[in-house]
Amino acid sequence: MLPEIKNAPERFKNQLAKYLVLRNPQCINCGTCAVVCPYQVHQRPAGYKRMSQPVHERCIGFRCLKNDFCCVHHCPRQALKLELNPLWETLGDARWPADLLKATWLQAETGEPTSSGLAYNYQTGQSGGGFDRLQFKNTDSSPVKINDNQVDTSLQLNKRPFGPKITIPIPVYGGGMSFGSIGLATMLARAKAAQAWGTFISTGEGGYPEELAPYDNHIITQVATGLFGVSERSLQRVRFMEFKYAQGAKPGLGGHLLGDKNTPSVAKFREAVPGTSLFSPFPFHSVYSVEDHKKHVDWIKAINPNILVSVKVSTPTDIDMVTVGSYYAGAHIVHLDGAYGGTGAAPEIAKKNIAMPIEYAVPKVHRFLCAEGIRDEITLIASGGIRTALDVAKVIALGADGVVIGTAELVALGCVRCGNCESGRGCPRGIATTDPELEKLIDADWGAQRIINMYRAWLKYWLQLLKKLGLTSFKELRGRMDLLEYGTREMEEEEKIQI
Amino acid sequence: MKDQMIKNILNSRKNFLPRLSGSLNPDAAEGGCGVIGFISTEKIKGKHVLQASEQMHNRGNGKGGGIAAVGLDAEQLGVSEEILQNDYLLQIAYLDRNVRPTVEKEFVLSKFDVHHQTVLPTIKDYREIKGLEIKPPEVCRYFVRVKPALLKEFGEKFELRCSSERSIEDEFVYQNTYQLNHKFYASLGEKRAFVLSHGRNLLVLKIVGYAEEVVKYYQLENFKAHLWISHQRYPTKGRVWHPGGAHPFIGLNEALIHNGDFANYYAVSEYLKQRGIYPLFLTDTEVAVLLVDLWNRIYGYPLEYIIEALAPTTERDFDLLPPAKQKIYRAIQSSHIHGSPDGPWFFIIGRTLPETKQVQLIGITDTSMLRPQVFALSNWGNDAQHQIGLIGSEKQAIDATLSSLTEDYPDICPVADKYWNARGGSHTDGGSFIYTLDQSKQVLTCADKFGKKVESVSDAKPEVTLFNQVAGTFPARDPVPPWRDGVPTGRGRFPSDGGLKTSATLTNVKTLQTIIQESDYPILSKALDNLVRSAGEDGLQFTETIETLTWLRDRFYPTGGKKRSSILAMIDKYLVNLFQSIPEIKKTNKKLPYLLAMQGDKINKNTSEKETLVIQATGFPPEGDDGVSRIIVEAYKNGWKKFIVFGLTGQRFCGCGLGADSDGVQIDLYGSSGDYTASGLDGAEIYIHNSAQDQIGQILKRGKLVIFGHVGQTFMYGAKGGEVYVLGNAAGRPLINGVGKPRVIINGTCLDYLAESFMAGDPLKGGGFAILNGLRFNDNGILEELETPYPGGNLFSLATGGAIYVRDPDRKVDQTQLHGGQFVPFTNDDWQLIKPYLEENERLFGISIKEHLLKANGQSPPMAGPAGPAKKPEEIYRKIRPALGEVMQTFTEDM
Repeated sequence: MLPEIKNAPERFKNQLAKYLVLRNPQCINCGTCAVVCPYQVHQRPAGYKRMSQPVHERCIGFRCLKNDFCCVHHCPRQALKLELNPLWETLGDARWPADLLKATWLQAETGEPTSSGLAYNYQTGQSGGGFDRLQFKNTDSSPVKINDNQVDTSLQLNKRPFGPKITIPIPVYGGGMSFGSIGLATMLARAKAAQAWGTFISTGEGGYPEELAPYDNHIITQVATGLFGVSERSLQRVRFMEFKYAQGAKPGLGGHLLGDKNTPSVAKFREAVPGTSLFSPFPFHSVYSVEDHKKHVDWIKAINPNILVSVKVSTPTDIDMVTVGSYYAGAHIVHLDGAYGGTGAAPEIAKKNIAMPIEYAVPKVHRFLCAEGIRDEITLIASGGIRTALDVAKVIALGADGVVIGTAELVALGCVRCGNCESGRGCPRGIATTDPELEKLIDADWGAQRIINMYRAWLKYWLQLLKKLGLTSFKELRGRMDLLEYGTREMEEEEKIQI
Repeated sequence: MKDQMIKNILNSRKNFLPRLSGSLNPDAAEGGCGVIGFISTEKIKGKHVLQASEQMHNRGNGKGGGIAAVGLDAEQLGVSEEILQNDYLLQIAYLDRNVRPTVEKEFVLSKFDVHHQTVLPTIKDYREIKGLEIKPPEVCRYFVRVKPALLKEFGEKFELRCSSERSIEDEFVYQNTYQLNHKFYASLGEKRAFVLSHGRNLLVLKIVGYAEEVVKYYQLENFKAHLWISHQRYPTKGRVWHPGGAHPFIGLNEALIHNGDFANYYAVSEYLKQRGIYPLFLTDTEVAVLLVDLWNRIYGYPLEYIIEALAPTTERDFDLLPPAKQKIYRAIQSSHIHGSPDGPWFFIIGRTLPETKQVQLIGITDTSMLRPQVFALSNWGNDAQHQIGLIGSEKQAIDATLSSLTEDYPDICPVADKYWNARGGSHTDGGSFIYTLDQSKQVLTCADKFGKKVESVSDAKPEVTLFNQVAGTFPARDPVPPWRDGVPTGRGRFPSDGGLKTSATLTNVKTLQTIIQESDYPILSKALDNLVRSAGEDGLQFTETIETLTWLRDRFYPTGGKKRSSILAMIDKYLVNLFQSIPEIKKTNKKLPYLLAMQGDKINKNTSEKETLVIQATGFPPEGDDGVSRIIVEAYKNGWKKFIVFGLTGQRFCGCGLGADSDGVQIDLYGSSGDYTASGLDGAEIYIHNSAQDQIGQILKRGKLVIFGHVGQTFMYGAKGGEVYVLGNAAGRPLINGVGKPRVIINGTCLDYLAESFMAGDPLKGGGFAILNGLRFNDNGILEELETPYPGGNLFSLATGGAIYVRDPDRKVDQTQLHGGQFVPFTNDDWQLIKPYLEENERLFGISIKEHLLKANGQSPPMAGPAGPAKKPEEIYRKIRPALGEVMQTFTEDM
């Protein structure tokens, strides 16, 4: 049973639009534009003499100028003008350009793939590298007709002969974000969505509030280098734990919660002094070798023998060795965290400048594990800058079994990628903050629905893509690097294959 | 002159070729490993490597094991003493048997005069050794000298004339090996043969398997040597079909094993490349021994300088060196810092110094002490004429070796006289200890990097005969235990909370203490025997007996000229006897509120909370679903609350898994408890009646932990709370990232980095703190002040909460040791806060507030005469708090 789609509109009255339709005082309120525009950009409610403000976000932009019905051409007084919203250039960044943000917001609102008619580029960002230069080859559609119900998008998280068998219906679970880096409502929204989907979210470092207890079966307890909030209780109440050895966004650096965000409620969870910056060291002081790591894993299993163990590492050049070491230590999952992710909290100098790009690391590890003959015994998870349904499919084709999503879930909640996660009281949109006032901006149920909707939309993309490739599962897609190509096609071409 | 020689030697290697692949990346990443080494005045049989190696299986993965034996026996090798001392003992491993004639022709017979040659005997079928999956190589041993004509030619060709004949020959042997390995191991696609060892009086064997399987396969159980080192490897590349990458690696007359891995393999390889040296086996361990060989044999550095080049003295420790030393060390560092291995490592080196007929065992830790290491020293025999020195990655491995040795040497004590850690790159011991055996005098000495001798406990009289009498051969039981007459029996409680509440126990202890001080070992043994026998089936008396023996094990007291290790070994033995006399849980039972469980027992029996489950740990695996920790959890779920675990041989995780609110649970651990003991504790009490190992008390949340000894690395990392008492020292990085309210007394000191990033609130408002007393008990059971309460350069660094209370009457700790901490006035509030903990500390360890802690000279009165004058708490203790302002400022700016 898939979780239900319910419309979950944005919290703010005026939505951001890519194009602005400007009406000047020459307008005589004749209503012609309302008649010609098929997208209902222009409206004059019954009984009103004057036109309403144009609903900008419905406009399809400059390419409409070619259309006969374009309002600009039909206006008898030339009172209408089309412009690119100047905000569009300031919104987002190269990796998450405004188009991608907006497309994701729409998915979170409707649960449907973003309509191609709106001309938001959901294929790639503008980073000029990484997943933005990788795409599926433009092959002919599969000759075999595959129905939706024949496609298996599930992921068996434990491929080893020991430990709990857990399968998630989509190859995605939520990445670690600690209480403190995000607020309670955001945590709850993610947990509720994870429960609805039968998948998981990670608590991040620092323990988690009692309000999350009902979702224990869908929580991943993170054991990170500061060991904040880790207790036998937090390891025994869940089915799944992850060691955070490193973060792709800042390998070689530990965690860092600035003093401002160490509010009294956060300090209480971490049992530290409010207002002081909290540092997690790098690396674990108790683990300086693979044999220490095995001992570390054994310890967790001594506390909870029926727990799924994931090892989150960044992508150094010897990542293949690290992975095999984790396999021998008895881990179920190796989670490679690449460098494209990270919120505004990761130092700029570290982001993207240290570890190996994830699209290099995943194939390297995948091939190495195949050569060692243990590929089918370990689950390989990738994360770090995986933004879209297509990115997920790309990284699976590169050799991963599944992915961890962080930022995209926050975008679903309305994140604008302003990068101010760590300044002042935290997130101006109430997502990444524990400030008691700002936090009220988010309603957990609404947030959960937005995340549910986003993944429903993603599922549709995946089904479409797999069917097109003639595949019936993500397992078949795994490691199919032959289906990918490097480079960028023209925008138009991309639109053609867009659903 | 010397310079020219070095140039000429390095020049003579010009024809060396690097590996064809040219790769400078290590072939296989590997991490920590299980290492053990020991050296003795006696020639010890190979079988004694087995026990310790087996107990460290979890530090390897069976993909590489090796041993080295140094200081050999001529007779058993079938050669004369003269040949053993003078010839090179060349051992070649033939992975491909067919290649042997070719190799011998090209690299042995044409180059050397061979005085003796043999193929090493092996067991018939390697598959008889369970777990051995790959056939070990055929090994051929040759005793050789270089053909004089070739040697002359070699010397002349490279103008090595001014060097001694022997050093030219050494270089010849070394180069011959390089070329053999290059041709038959490194450069071809297939690996067919390589040299295991070529030094004098030293041999190396290695296989794809565990170290003890080397001993079994090559039938070395009865092979004798003065020095053994053994290594369990943990390579992470899955398919390893050849043993070349296993440790030990060789220089010339040295074999090196290694626990850890370098971060700068590439840089070190480049450093070597500049000197014409190319690694062929592509592991960081090989590179390490190449460095040692370069600095030792080519540059002729004394050992101290070699150690300095490996593990540079830095920061405050450097500043505290004498100026003359600083000058030399500075020169060494500026020349060789690029060759200095960076990252976690611990080396054990076994080597011969043939010219002085010495054999040496050396342990060196990296400057940051990132790998565990324990040193031990013991002697035995009537006049302490036999000595043994041991180095291991775990104390339990040392203890396992000692107990294995009792088989051949009945009077060796299973408890070492001394255990200690090295402080890496320090001005105090230099992070290294060297055991030197003078073969001609049969004397073993131990000294640190600077040559400061470690004294053995030779003036005390050891126990020589009684340890190994088997139960049942004891003298008949006395009708009435002599000390029990007319003593009223009190009501006791067995947690060892130290306060001896029952007067019966008190009387027992007093009587036995008198016997220890005034009588000989046989009388003590008999008294203990009687005590154990009289315990009988009466529950109360049984408890008192356990409590008596435990008290004598835990506490320090004058021993009347006897060796403390001997007394402890004796008590341990009787404790085991006592525990083993407990009826097994399988059988139904009756009066005694103690039940014995062993490996394989299922604890489904429910219990009243009064019963104690006594678990014999022997035979339990060190971890996993069948481990000791799981049986405790299983029993706890069935209502058991009191546990005694004895016979531990390094089993890990005891006390883990009980979950939240385990109040009322009490676990007493005897023997060698393992890593991660008491980690995650949340309410229960754990008493470790011995020294503890590494990673004890991680994330400890609540409850009580008492350690009657020292504790290893990263003690209480990320702890949230709990009440913790340590009698001795903590090794490196204790209490890092502590939050909440942990309250800890360390009566000794720490290696370094105590309470880094401590965040535990304000102690006066419910936060956490550590009390550092800086004391120790000496060999005579007398409490004395350490030279300084804290020798390290990093105390309370980057802390944002909590406090350190340091007992420092002479104000020896100074601001340069604090990085982010500051001294603040010690107030009466502070004293009222810590006093109850010190009182409990007094009950547990007998360290008196009035008699010891608050006297200016912390020595206890009996031996030291009148101690110093009584002082006020604020004159004795100092308080360190985070200096938040500036530090946070700078740190925030840095980010």
